[in-house]
This record gives sequence, structure tokens and C-alpha cells, in this order.
Amino acid sequence: MSSVVIAPPRILFLKVHWSDRIAHAILIVAGLALAVFLLAPLAMILMKSAQNRAGDWVGFANFVDYFRTPALARSIWNSAWVSTLVTLVTIPLAFTFAYALTRSCMPFKLLLRNIALVPILAPSLLAAISFIFWFGNQGLLKPLMGSGQIYGAPGIVISLVFATFPHALMILVTALSLTDARLYEAADALGTSTRRKFWTITVPGAKYGLISAAMVVFTYAISDFGIPKVIGGNFNMLATDIFKLVIGQQDFSKGAVVGILLLLPVAVTYVADSWVQRRQSALLSARSVPYVPRPSRTYDWAMTAYCVLIAGLLIAVLGMAVYASFVKLWPYNFTPSLDHYRMGLVEAGMFSSYVNSVTLGFWCATAGAVFIFVVAYLLEKTRGLDAWRPFVRLMAVLPMGVPGMVLGLGYIFFFVAADNPLHFLYGSMAILVLNTVVHYYTSSHLTAVTALKQIDNEFESVSASLKVPFWRTFFRVTVPVCLPSILDVSRYLFVNAMTTVSAVVFLYSPNTMLASIAIVNLDEAGDIGAAAAMATLIVVTSAAVCFVYFLIQTYFDRRTQSWRTS
Amino acid sequence: MEFLQLSNIHKRFGDFVALGDVSLAVHSGELLCFLGPSGCGKTTLLRIIAGLEVQSAGTIIQAGRDISRLPPMDRDYGIVFQSYALFPNLTIGQNVAYGLVNRRMPKPGRDARVKELLALVGLPDSGAKFPAQLSGGQQQRIALARALATSPGLLLLDEPLSALDARVRVRLRGEIRNLQQRLGVTTILVTHDQEEALSMADRIVVMKEGAIEQVGTPADVYGVPATPFVADFVGKTNLLPAIRSGEDRVQVGAQRFQCHIGNGVANGAGLRLFFRPEDVTVRGVEGATPNSAAAVVEKVEFLGAFSRITFRLNGIEQPLTADLSLNDMAEFRPKPGDTLRVAVPPDRMRVFES
Repeated sequence: MSSVVIAPPRILFLKVHWSDRIAHAILIVAGLALAVFLLAPLAMILMKSAQNRAGDWVGFANFVDYFRTPALARSIWNSAWVSTLVTLVTIPLAFTFAYALTRSCMPFKLLLRNIALVPILAPSLLAAISFIFWFGNQGLLKPLMGSGQIYGAPGIVISLVFATFPHALMILVTALSLTDARLYEAADALGTSTRRKFWTITVPGAKYGLISAAMVVFTYAISDFGIPKVIGGNFNMLATDIFKLVIGQQDFSKGAVVGILLLLPVAVTYVADSWVQRRQSALLSARSVPYVPRPSRTYDWAMTAYCVLIAGLLIAVLGMAVYASFVKLWPYNFTPSLDHYRMGLVEAGMFSSYVNSVTLGFWCATAGAVFIFVVAYLLEKTRGLDAWRPFVRLMAVLPMGVPGMVLGLGYIFFFVAADNPLHFLYGSMAILVLNTVVHYYTSSHLTAVTALKQIDNEFESVSASLKVPFWRTFFRVTVPVCLPSILDVSRYLFVNAMTTVSAVVFLYSPNTMLASIAIVNLDEAGDIGAAAAMATLIVVTSAAVCFVYFLIQTYFDRRTQSWRTS
Repeated sequence: MEFLQLSNIHKRFGDFVALGDVSLAVHSGELLCFLGPSGCGKTTLLRIIAGLEVQSAGTIIQAGRDISRLPPMDRDYGIVFQSYALFPNLTIGQNVAYGLVNRRMPKPGRDARVKELLALVGLPDSGAKFPAQLSGGQQQRIALARALATSPGLLLLDEPLSALDARVRVRLRGEIRNLQQRLGVTTILVTHDQEEALSMADRIVVMKEGAIEQVGTPADVYGVPATPFVADFVGKTNLLPAIRSGEDRVQVGAQRFQCHIGNGVANGAGLRLFFRPEDVTVRGVEGATPNSAAAVVEKVEFLGAFSRITFRLNGIEQPLTADLSLNDMAEFRPKPGDTLRVAVPPDRMRVFES
């Protein structure tokens, strides 16, 4: 029980109880793990960007080289304007939808909302595949395109709008439901016009949500790989460039340069967003009164019409991929058939990739969720080890600022090196699990932290005074109370493991091929029907898993309602 | 005998001094109250005793054992927080037994102890309920039972009544005090509510800006405040700048008053004169009554059992207050603008050196 800390004079430390040492040990190991699986790969990118192919130090030569290659440098401009345009289109669309959900008496709100969130269950490239079936060279509505082409920027933009819409919607719904009804009552008492209320109360109240949503959309758009790969044609973006440079040309140095170029805007938006988030928390006090919309015929009808239109479009996009997967031979023979599933997937040996995806999802949803929750708990609720905590906290929120392509790139640089003792992980399922958990760490961590913050901070103090070690309170109280959030984290990790492409595209081996990557490969091989079938399989699996989580949640809600309701 | 001895406790948060050199002895079996405005360091001091914060310097001896550097788990106390901190997913019985389970007490003994404690706090039939099914006052009593279950040597109460309604608060005050006296457990209560401190404590520690202003019985603290701060914080008070003008005389503006002044205060020295509103009399006051003067009534506030009169004296700028009983009010019927002869008995006036 002797203290490890040699105290300088006048600064006192408490002796550390042996049970707290266990917490400290786990926290140290967790921090080191995050350093190895996040920081080290990122550091490798920085190093590679300053080395030539032979591994000699060349300083900024690779950057200079890069900017002297016009085809590559143009990708920066392409990525920038496409992402900006996607943001400018998605935000107003999603804001109006969120406004209808929170501020109108529109019917079928729950249904419309769930339809709008469905794209989250699909890999982003499902949208690209659907738009090819609608507007591609053999698309149903090709005549509408005139002399234009869906391949390239138009297809990328419209697919990204589809993919980013639900992400923006979730943030904006939250932001709009945070408004205090008393502000509107005060404005009404002063005889304020509807337009003025909108611009002086609604928009300022949702300001941080709008900024946050815009940044999420921009980040998603600039770092997405699947969509430009499938529907981009010859239109190059940073994310596809990395892939071509590293996998196609084996030019690691230049790949690292592009990785850093991609990291920069994402890191900037990330820092800005965390600044915004800190502002937002102070906006709503516990005393706020929730806003309850009042019926208004014309307005409600207009909102309903708008939302039904958007929901219809979303279903049309999603539905087309599903429909096409059941069509015998597009566009010549529209008889329903299971050929794409039977021949395209099972007989072509692609089904194992589906099994791999489910396996990946399973490990992320179990081991990943447990790890994330335990670390969040130790950070929030235990004491001591004060110098180490900020580092672990930083490691937990950093992944949000790292695009998947960059993370994946860092992983190959780091793990492919034969002299790395962790080299054995390369090509294994374990590395896919680790990479995916790190990739989606931040959102999961923040969900866990939010849930933990809602629990009385004195539980641990009371337990200590009763001489009960922390893990007993963790298992008996903290876990049961936080179970809904733990399930949320677990589901989030599963769905993302099913749908992600960007980070893992660098890391799979023939034995660990994933369903989402199989879509890219099938599409590249021209077997777009099978690609649609695989995408459909992923959506159905994600939806089924969400339903299972819903059942588990309902079961626990029923079992615990005796103490949850007050 | 001193049960708990705090010596030279310092606590710094960066540049902010939360506690500056606090020393204090807590007697065995007493209820000691830390009283002060928010930010005075009272909760920090309690948390240091509990080991939830670490003092920057200083020692704590509890029951002859140096606990200065012991983690909370190795100290001997039960604690009750303002938020109750009951485990929501455990029943009342499981909450109370929480600390007993860990002591490997066999189940029958545990059940008996839980039953005994629930009876002690007056909620014998609540064992199977969940915390959310109880009222705030009941939850706080359960929290108390949980803290007492392991028979700790020291009970720490951190603003235990602040989250409750006024009515429940008053009732629970008496119940906690009663229980504490029955069990004879040494108790430290933190509060910012002077009424709570006066009604419950054996001794009160009045704190301000991280330092102790006065330690004394409720009667001492109220009747013989050691500093103007204590006089002002505990109860209502009139505080006036004064100058010593004779053996037992002070000059306030144009008025002279008679009162006891300690030795060692030079003539002409600056003082602060203090008296309580309830010590101002109006009945039987004549020109010859010591410390009497003509008061001009400015405001009359009806406060139920008494009325508070705000008045001014000739030559004193600061408005003063007097609390008059309903009888006095019925007889003298003071209205704003009236002149009323008031007096303060010399033994009710006190001076502080300023």
C-alpha cells in the first residue's frame, strides 16, 4: 500500500487503495492501446509523407511533387467544391424536415422520421448504385438526363445528399427540440410576427446545431470513398486518389501526402465543432419548458407534403437497389429472380464476405462496446492518475477528426512493417475489429459519457464510504442504469461495421473480405446486379439487428420500469 | 475527548485558496455544524474529512488514528449527500444493506439490521419499494439509514435538507437531531441555512472565505457574534460605523449611545456598533430612557408573527430596522412618515473594532 508517487514537499497525495489500483491499471492499458491503434498509425502517415520510396528523408519534396501534378492537385478543388455543394443542399433539406418533425402537427411523424433515417442502415455506396439504376447508361430515367451524365460530379453530389441527410437530420432534430417554449410565449405576448420569431428565436436557438450538422455533412462528404468510387467515373477526389496511389501505384509517400491533405480540413471542422458543442451545452437550463406545436391547417399540410415528398424520394433511391437486386437481367429482362443472390453472391463465393461482415459487427458490438463503456466509466467516475487522464480523453475524442481513409492508410503503414511486433495482426479479423472500433470510437464514447454524466456523481463516494469496491457498484448499479446507452453504442458499432468501407478497404485480406467491400469489387467487375444484392443484404441485416436491439430494449424497459419511472 | 482533530488544513485550487489554515476539534458524540455562504469552503472541508478531496497541507486525526492520507475506503464514516444518491435500480432494502453485503454479514443478520434501521428512520414497510416510489424526505431518510447501517464512527451530512420543501425540511431537522442524539454518533453537518444550524447543532463553526470566523454554541454565535460577518450572517442585524467617545459611549453620526466597550480601545477609535432588530423597544420609552431617540418610520413590512419597521434616526444616514410584535403594532400603529420614540437597551448593543 505504499504510494508510487514521490511527493514533492507541500503537495499531498492520498494513498491509493488497492481496488483503485485495478482501475488505474485498466486505464493505463486502455490509453496505451488507443495510442498504439490510433496515434502510432497517424504518426506513420506523417513520417511516410516526408520519405521517398526508399525510405530516405526528403522533407517536403513529396508535397511539392504532389502540387506539381495537375491531375492530383485538381482533386483538392474537386473535393472542396463537391463537399461544399453537398452541405449547401443537404442542410436546408434536413432543416425543413427537422422543423416539420419538431414544430408542426404533421401526422405520421414517427413513420416519416424512421424512413428518413433508413439511409444510415445502408453503406453509402448503395445510393450510388441506385442512382446508376435510375439515371445511369442503362437507367430507367436515362432519357431525362438528355445529353448529361450521372457519372461524375452530379452522381456524387446527389448520392452524398442521400447518404448525409439522416446524419444532419438527427443533429437538427435534437437542436430544434432543445428550444424553450417560454421564449415563444414571451414573443407572443409582445405580439411578434411569425417570421420575426423564426429569425430571432428559432434560428439562433438552432444555430449551433446548424453549424454542427454542416460540419458533419462536409466531413462525411469529403472523406467518403464508396460513392466517388462507384459513381465518380473519371471525376477524382482526395479519398479515391489515396486508394489509387496506395493500392494501384503502391506510391506510399504520395498517398501519405493526400492523407494529410484530407486530414487537414476534417481536423479543422472537428476542432470548430468541439468548440461549438461546448457553447451549446449552456443553452438549455433544466427549467426550460418543451415547445408544443399548435395545429395550423395550411402550414401542417405544407409540411406533410414536403416530408412525404422527401420520404418518397428516399424510398425511391433505397427501393431501386432492392428492386434491381431481384431483377433477372437489367435492363433486358425484368422478371423477378434470385439469380443475383444465388449466382452472383453464393456461387461466386461472395457469401463468406457477408459472414465476415456479421462477424466483424458482432465483435465490435460486444467487445468494442464493452471496452468503450468501461473506459468512459473509468474516466468519468474513478479518481487518481490525474496526469494520465487528459491523454486518454484526447485519444477518445481524436478519432472523430480522422477520416476513415486516413486511419486505414495509417494502419497499413504501421502494421505492414515486418519489424513491428504487432505485424501478425495484419490481414486478420482482429485488425478489422480494432480499426472499426477506433474509427467509430468518439460518437460511442460521447454517448457513454452523456449517460454516465446523468448518474449521480456521489454513487462512487457513497460506495467508498461503505467500503464497497468500485467494480461492485459498476456491475450492480452503473451498468443496469446505463444499459439503454450501452445498447445504443453496441447497435451503432454493429451497423457501422456492416456498412463501412473507407478504413477497412486497405486492411482486408482474401480471408477477411467484407460485404461492403465486396460491393465495390462487384461493381468494378461490372456485376452491378450482384452489388445491389449485397447492398440489400446489408440493409436487411442492419434493419434486422436494429429490430433485435429494439426487442432487447423493450424487454429491459419492461423489467426495469418499476424503478425508472418516478 | 476530541474525536476528530483537524490541524492546519490548507486547500488550494490553482491560485484560489479554498481553505487557509483551518484547525478544529470535533468532540465525541456532538453534532457540529459548518455554516457559511456558498464558496466559504465548508463543503470542501467536509470532503477533505471524507477523503473525497485531498488537502494541500495539514493533518487529520480521527479516533487517535492519522487519516490524513488514507483513501476514503480506509476511513471510517458514513455520508449523506444533498442528492440522496440512492441507487435507483436497487430496492430500499438493498440500498440499506449495500454496505453490509460487503462485510460478509450472513443474510439473516443483514435482514435484521435492515429492518432495525428502517424502523429507526420511521419507514419500516418500505424495504421492497424502489427509491423513485418515495418522496424526497423519505429518500433522504433512507440515505441516512444506509449511511448508519455499518455503524460508522463519524456521520457526515452534506446539505442533507437543501433539496426538500420547507415543511419537510423542518420536520426532518428534528428527526435527524433526535436520531443523532439517540445513537450518540459524532456528526458533522454542512449547511448554508442558519436556522438549520441554530436548531440542530451542539456547536456551530461559522466560515467565510476559507477561514473559520467563530466556533461556538448556537446561543453564543447568535448572541455574542465574534465578528461583524457572523453578526450579519446569523440573524438580521443593524451594523453602524461608530467612534468611541467615552468610557462606555460611542458616537454614531449625530447620535450618542451607551454600551459596553472592551479595554484596549482608544478614545476616538473607529468601531462598528451592532444590535438586532428584535432588541429595539418602543414600549415605555421616554426621553430619559438610555439609548433612546426619535425615529422617523420609512417602511412597515408585515411578516406574520411580527412586523419589520425600517426607520431613520436624526443624523444617521443609514436606515435601521426594528422588529415589533403584533401587540406593539396594535398599540403604536406606526405608519410611514410617523415619528416614534425607540430605544435599545445598553446591554443589547455590542461593538466590534473595525
